[in-house]
Amino acid sequence: MEKIAITGIGIVAPSGMDKKVFWANIKAGRSEIKVIDRYDAQLYPSHIGGQIHQLDAYSHISSRLLQKIDPFSHMALIASEMALKDAGIDLTKENLNHIGIFMGNALGGWLYGETELRDLYLEGREGVSPYMASAWFPAAPQGQVSIYYGIKGYSKTVVSDRASSLMAIGHGAKILAKNKLDFILAGGMEAPLSPYGLLCCNTNGDLSTDNEHPESAYKPFDKDRAGFVVGEGAGIMIFEPQERVDARGRKPYGYIAGYGTTCDGVDRIKANPDGKELARAIRMALDDAGYKPQDIDYISLDGAATLEGDVSEVAAIKEVFGGRAAHLPVSAPKTMFGNLLGASGAVDIIVTLLAMEHGLIPPTLNLKNIDSRCAGMDYVVDKARPAEIKKALVISRGRAGINAVVALEKQ
Amino acid sequence: MDTKGKVKDVVVKLLKVRPEELKEGQTLEQSLGVDSTEMVEVCIALQKEFGVQIGEKEVTKYQTLDQIAGVINQKKG
Repeated sequence: MEKIAITGIGIVAPSGMDKKVFWANIKAGRSEIKVIDRYDAQLYPSHIGGQIHQLDAYSHISSRLLQKIDPFSHMALIASEMALKDAGIDLTKENLNHIGIFMGNALGGWLYGETELRDLYLEGREGVSPYMASAWFPAAPQGQVSIYYGIKGYSKTVVSDRASSLMAIGHGAKILAKNKLDFILAGGMEAPLSPYGLLCCNTNGDLSTDNEHPESAYKPFDKDRAGFVVGEGAGIMIFEPQERVDARGRKPYGYIAGYGTTCDGVDRIKANPDGKELARAIRMALDDAGYKPQDIDYISLDGAATLEGDVSEVAAIKEVFGGRAAHLPVSAPKTMFGNLLGASGAVDIIVTLLAMEHGLIPPTLNLKNIDSRCAGMDYVVDKARPAEIKKALVISRGRAGINAVVALEKQ
Repeated sequence: MDTKGKVKDVVVKLLKVRPEELKEGQTLEQSLGVDSTEMVEVCIALQKEFGVQIGEKEVTKYQTLDQIAGVINQKKG
C-alpha cells in the first residue's frame, strides 16, 4: 500500500494525558495498575485497572455537552483536540467534507447506559435522558468528534473486540491511500471501568484476579500468567498522504506501511493455539508494506496473558520469523497501563512511534518466569532497551481469534 | 419566585448555562441554540417542577420564557 504519514498524536491514558508525560512514564517502566478506587469494586473478582484521574483538567468540553456524552466520547474529544494541535492543523482552513474519522472501541459507553438503565427501573421511562439514544452506542465518539469540528467526510467506527482500533487504523489508512480524503483522525477509545462495564469484563474469565498485587498482576508469556488487567483511555492520531505533509512542511512521526487481518474461525472466545491465522495476518501486513521478515526491528505484542493467546502469538511469530525470532526484540508495554481493549491497538501504535522517535524499546513488566511454550523470543523486560527501530509491527487481537497487524516505518 | 423565574431556573440548571445567556424576548433556540433533544429534557423537567402535563407541541424551543410561563400558568389555572 501507499505509505500514510502520521503527523499528530493525542493520548489520554493511565500513564499520562499528553505524549511527554506518557512517554516519560513508559520509558521509566512505571506501572499505573492500581486497585479501582472510584467506587467500591472490592466484590468484583478482578478489581484492579489502569484509571484516568485528571480527565477534567485537560478537558475543553462544556458542562452542557458533558452531560450528554459518555466518558469514552469525552476521552475521544480530548485526544482528538491534542492530535489536531500536535499536527498543526487549523480546521478553519480545511475542506471539512474531505476529512474522515476512523475509530474503534469494543464496549460502547457503559457508564451512561447503566446510569440511565438504573433510572428507568427507579423512575420509569421519563427518568431516562433522551440523550441515552446517542450517548452509549459504539459510534457515539465518532459522531461527537464529527459534530464538534463539523467534519463531514467518509468515516467509520469499527467494533471488533480488542482489535477494534487497530482495524479502524488499518481501514482508515487504506481509504486515505485511495485518495478519497485529505486527511483523517484515526484511533480508538474505551471506558470499561464503570460498575457494569467492569462486571461484564469480569464475566469473560480473562482478567487477572491478583488484586493483592496490582502492579505485577498482568504478566503475559509468564508461566504464572493469570489473565490481563483492563484500563481506560483513548489514542487518536492524524494520518495524511505524503504530498500533503510535504506541502505543509511537517515532519511525520512515521508511516503506516502495511495492514493485515484474519480470523481464526475456531472458538467463540479463545484463539487457536497453533497461531496459523495470526501468522497469515503478519505475512499480509509484511507483503502489503513490501517488507521481508528480516526488515523488522521490533514487534509490539498483543500480550493477552491467556494461555491460548500467548502460545498462539509466539507460535505465529516463530512461524514467520523462524530462527530470527530469538533475536527480534518484542514487548507488551500495555502491562504498564492495562489493556485498553478496543483502544489498545491505537495506543500501541503511539507507543511504538514514540519508541522509534526516542530509540528506546519500552519493556514488558512482570515477565519473570517465561512459560516454556513461549520461550525462544527476545523479550524486552523490566527496563527500556536502547535500539534503533526503523520498521516495526504492532499486533492486536480480539476474542474468537480476530487478528490484526499493522506495519510501521520510521520517518 | 414567579412562574417565569422558575422556568428560567429549570432551564439554567438543566442545560448548565449562565442565567445571562437566556436573553429577554428571545426564543430558547435563539438565545441558547437549544436542540430538539434538549427540549424533551426541558419539558420533562418543567412537568416535574410544576406538576402539570405538557404536550410536546405545547412548549417548544421556538418560544420565549414569557410564552412558556404563559402556557404553564394556563395549565395551572
